[in-house]
Amino acid sequence: MRTSASSPSAPAAPTTTPVREREDEDQGLLSPDIPWIVIVWNDPVNLMSYVVFVFQKLFGYSHQKATRLMLQVHNEGKSVVSSGPREKAEFDVSRLHAHGLWATMQKDR
Amino acid sequence: MAPAFRALAGGRVRVQLTPEEAEVLHGLPGELKEVLEVASPEVMGRLFPPAYHDPEDIEREREYRGLMQGDLLRQKLSAVEVITEALARGEVRRGRWTVILSPEECTSWLHVLNDLRLTIGVRLGIRTEEDWQMAPGDPRAPHLALLHYLGWLEESLIEALRAAEGPPAS
Repeated sequence: MRTSASSPSAPAAPTTTPVREREDEDQGLLSPDIPWIVIVWNDPVNLMSYVVFVFQKLFGYSHQKATRLMLQVHNEGKSVVSSGPREKAEFDVSRLHAHGLWATMQKDR
Repeated sequence: MAPAFRALAGGRVRVQLTPEEAEVLHGLPGELKEVLEVASPEVMGRLFPPAYHDPEDIEREREYRGLMQGDLLRQKLSAVEVITEALARGEVRRGRWTVILSPEECTSWLHVLNDLRLTIGVRLGIRTEEDWQMAPGDPRAPHLALLHYLGWLEESLIEALRAAEGPPAS
């Protein structure tokens, strides 16, 4: 922020600023694109086979990947199962909730 | 015990239970419907947990809830309707209660079985793996037995659904 505000030439000559640099700057300043992560938490009632089944069904993961994520939930208490823009994360959380999984979302930072 | 659910052609699944098991199942969707309608905070907290983890996102959480909770509840109630109808359709053949489910009905059965288990888990106060261990003579024992039975049923349904889909993707 300081860099662009202290540069007198920046407002006068916006066309000379490379587009890519501006985008990089915006990401750093406003953080509009920080991805959200979706976390599934361990719970003592859902079946292991059910959790694997739901991961495969909702996210199209292989049996192997779905099993790995389920075991991470089981052994470590939680696992990141998807990520992306807020709208996508909300959609994924709602589908996990519809299937009875304990899911939350948060900014990935 | 013979598997309760068996994959048939076309993604359909056959349910075969003893008449006694079918009798137990008959009452359960109605009980789940009642639980959903009564909407006790503890059950709702489990079936509709918060989406946003960080307290700073409380506004977004409120918005999410406003948008989604009604939809989720309607989905659950409609699954209860589907299973109720299939249970009414089943009949005893050669000593086994039998009904054949379409792929869509199987999805509803899976959701209802799982919601029933979650609900009973809340009622029994099962919050950790250790809570499954109960002393002999615990008044909650019959419900714990039901929870185990529904878990066995759900496991059988998942196996049948996998068999109906064909070999799993590697």
